[in-house]
Amino acid sequence: MRFRGVLVGLAVLTWAGTAAAQKFQTFFPYPLKVATLPNGLRVVRVPFESPGLVSYYTVVRVGSRNEVEADHTGFAHYFEHVMFKGTKAWPEGTRDALLGRLGFSENAFTTDDVTVYFVNGPSTSLDKLVELEADRFRNLEYSEATFQTEAKAVLGEYHKNAANPGLKMEEELAATAFKVHPYRHTTLGFYDDIKKMPGYFEYSREFFRRWYTPDNTLVFVVGDFDDAKLMAWVEKGYGSWQGKAAKLVIPAEPAQKEARQVHVDWATPTLPRHLHAWHTPSAGMSLTDGAVQSVLSAYLAGPTSPLYKQLVLEQQLCESVSTGYGEHRDPSLFSLTATLKEERHRAAVQAAFDAAVRDAVSGKLDAKRVQDIKDNLRYSLLMGLETADHVAMQLAYFGGVLGGPGSVDALYQAIAQVKPAQVSAFAKRHLTDSNRTVLTLTPKPAAEKAGQP
Amino acid sequence: MKRLAFAIACGSCLACITLAPTDVRDASRVDLERAVAVPDAPRAPVPAPVPQVAAAVPLPSRPLKAPPPLFTVLQPVAGKPIVSFRLVFHTGAVDDPKGKEGLTALTADLMAQGGTRALSSSQLLDALFPMAAELSATTDKEFTVFEGRVHRDRLDAFLKIFTDVLLEPRFDPKELDRLRTDAVNAIVNQLRGQDDESLGKVALDALLYEGHPYAHFNGGTVEGLKAVTLDDVKAHWKTVFTQDRLVVGLAGAVDAALEKRLKDRLAALPATGAPAVKLPPAPGVHGKAWVIERDTLSAAESMGASFTLRRDDPDYYAVAFAASYLGEHRQFHGVLFTELREKRGLNYGDYAYAEHFHQDGWSSLPALNVGRSQQDFSIWIRPVEPQNALFAARGAVYFLNALTSKPAPNDRFEIARGFLIGYTRVWEQTDQRRLGYAIDEAFYGTPGFLDGYRKALAELTPEAMLAAVKRHLSSDGLNFVFVAKDAQALAKVLSNQAPSPIAYPSPKPAEVLAEDKAIATQALPVSPGAVEVKAARDFMER
Repeated sequence: MRFRGVLVGLAVLTWAGTAAAQKFQTFFPYPLKVATLPNGLRVVRVPFESPGLVSYYTVVRVGSRNEVEADHTGFAHYFEHVMFKGTKAWPEGTRDALLGRLGFSENAFTTDDVTVYFVNGPSTSLDKLVELEADRFRNLEYSEATFQTEAKAVLGEYHKNAANPGLKMEEELAATAFKVHPYRHTTLGFYDDIKKMPGYFEYSREFFRRWYTPDNTLVFVVGDFDDAKLMAWVEKGYGSWQGKAAKLVIPAEPAQKEARQVHVDWATPTLPRHLHAWHTPSAGMSLTDGAVQSVLSAYLAGPTSPLYKQLVLEQQLCESVSTGYGEHRDPSLFSLTATLKEERHRAAVQAAFDAAVRDAVSGKLDAKRVQDIKDNLRYSLLMGLETADHVAMQLAYFGGVLGGPGSVDALYQAIAQVKPAQVSAFAKRHLTDSNRTVLTLTPKPAAEKAGQP
Repeated sequence: MKRLAFAIACGSCLACITLAPTDVRDASRVDLERAVAVPDAPRAPVPAPVPQVAAAVPLPSRPLKAPPPLFTVLQPVAGKPIVSFRLVFHTGAVDDPKGKEGLTALTADLMAQGGTRALSSSQLLDALFPMAAELSATTDKEFTVFEGRVHRDRLDAFLKIFTDVLLEPRFDPKELDRLRTDAVNAIVNQLRGQDDESLGKVALDALLYEGHPYAHFNGGTVEGLKAVTLDDVKAHWKTVFTQDRLVVGLAGAVDAALEKRLKDRLAALPATGAPAVKLPPAPGVHGKAWVIERDTLSAAESMGASFTLRRDDPDYYAVAFAASYLGEHRQFHGVLFTELREKRGLNYGDYAYAEHFHQDGWSSLPALNVGRSQQDFSIWIRPVEPQNALFAARGAVYFLNALTSKPAPNDRFEIARGFLIGYTRVWEQTDQRRLGYAIDEAFYGTPGFLDGYRKALAELTPEAMLAAVKRHLSSDGLNFVFVAKDAQALAKVLSNQAPSPIAYPSPKPAEVLAEDKAIATQALPVSPGAVEVKAARDFMER
């Protein structure tokens, strides 16, 4: 493997239209080649030492954020499943069969903001892979019966997740903290809406037209390949793809002005949970805000934080303490979560959470810890880029959420610039009581014992 | 790696070890060779005949290889900035004393997380965090792996900590309390309470190996964990984490000098300790079913049989490929996935395994260094709607029967073969995974395992695959575990084997409906007296 430690020369390729020149990369160690086709499709290539293997990611900038219509929650994720159902040229099953025969493995996932399709396999058949991928994004075609059958598989996915209280917590938190923005539902969607999905065949066609367009999509290719040949295949496969992404208004969430609370009783054995969440700005709108939250997240509840050491190691009131923060396109939530060993520790945990936030707000941040966190983030990035698949995943996910092919590098540059005073000012501005939602979960037997509803 | 916040959703130096003698495998082939007729035509939904299940026939245990003390796999990768350590001790849950189940895993956790003589657990975190170094321990039935990764910039500091963890663990009683409580919670709350699929898989182990050292959860039992004392941990550390049980793996930015530094320090481990556990025969049960009662929306299913096949058997590659053909883990083109999920929409996925199934987090790749002297075949049916629980199990048996009774169709055979020849290369992309395979090769005596697999695949025919499958697999050998809410009702239909027709919300092709009629009355190899209902709340208590 070749490793470029700090500075990597820019690599620019003009391709059939506009060419995006990458700024100098300072943190992401592999050079990107970026081309934008006339139809708006951005194609990012990264030569990488993975003899004979290639990783191929396609990111569509659509997720549960785009589910603005009533009763259609979870549809972006459902549609991710539908994308595997074939085209006229490659009807259902034949695409899977060919990819399988060629030695490719594939999968996909959906988040609040993006849907990511990925394939890993032999470079020798990259031409065929490009043809198949371009074909399904241009010419997806499926029957109503197939569409309805897949709805049952999605219901099965909900079922496999439902045994864990994490899904219920996520549902309740989102529905309490958000009133109008689509982040008020999870990516899986509401259970009742999932059960209605078989009736949305016509809507699925509209969904495809709205969001599966070249200007709303990025392709990332990482590994061992001939770049000129690849781009010729890309132009042939995707060049005739037409369409513009819909301009739907995503309702903005009004500022929260009062403390909110939600409680979950859980009927089967589990440990109590305690969660504080605040609305915060998004990395998609400001990389600096995203970078500050990456640092704040580790500062408040990372493994070297006083909160973690107090609650998990010293007092042992909690099995775990963690923060919930992820890069988003729109303002989302920043949270602190504890898994309590016993219900009776709840007041002490809440007090510890409040003290940790007061400490961050006070302006007296430990500068060494802030530096350690930045070092941790930088080394974590480097250690997480071992395979073509790892590299493509990082580029695709951050590129999709943050909007630019080089977003990973830009984000890490922003992290390197974070100062303790910024972290403190951010906490003071956003981690306020009136902006907070508290979620509590109690296993039912304990709730009865404690006299809770 | 920076964690991605997804709302949902995935040149070694080898010991010169010869293949094990092959005669052993013939000694215990039980009744896994029975041919089972596959219904080729639709039938009327009449009750299935209740099968008479033969008595269990124990399967003798055959120990894995014992590489020389501190046997080392060194895999330098030019230009790579990361150093990977993979230290694999031949000790695991089988070394837990009776009544102290969980001792090995708890000892390993206390070593990896509980601090060293120089650093408390808190200071250990402070030291590792700025380097983003990874240090973990995982315990399986026969192996415990200490895994470390660090950027070469921070190698010296990390090497001291990593070896101190093994040589000078702090054994702080407060940390023992903390980690023991976590281990108990992993059973009482996580396994019993919030993960039906893992519960089903652990229960299948318990069913297949009742009375055997494999039977208990790798993390222990509630009573076993509570019985462990700090003195037990200290004594166990000295007797199982020893040089003669250790294989050392180093990869990435490594060289012979680093190997020497590491091994010089590891020479301070005890040369030897407790003798290797002599495993008794596996019970060899078949035809049994457990229904675990739990308040849940759906029904999770696992089924399987212990067998004598291992990687060092000449039939291994053919049978492993047959399992991949039937249902490669978390891939889209296996028979079970295609038939049960894609055509019928029963659930999220359906897979088959020729070695004990060990899910490695969300990964779709096979777990490494979880070798077993005694292996098993299994099928994993992801949660289905409760009314389809029996149909899904019958479907799995129906398609397994097809696999064991006639050659695979050429087109599907070629898809599965092409896929696996390419996909096995994805299995060996990281340094830790390459080390893992090389170390497994040392214990199984199978040098060049993946190259050998690809070569065998290139030469395999559907007929040869069928012949190997017939020597090792039959649905008659299966046992079943269900996790469901209405356990009594499910146990009843399992016992009387009433037809289980399925209804769909959308039209289905005639050939699917015709096949459904056969599946709905497919005989399940479960005898009425061998169905037990168990409460999740009591699972792995002792």
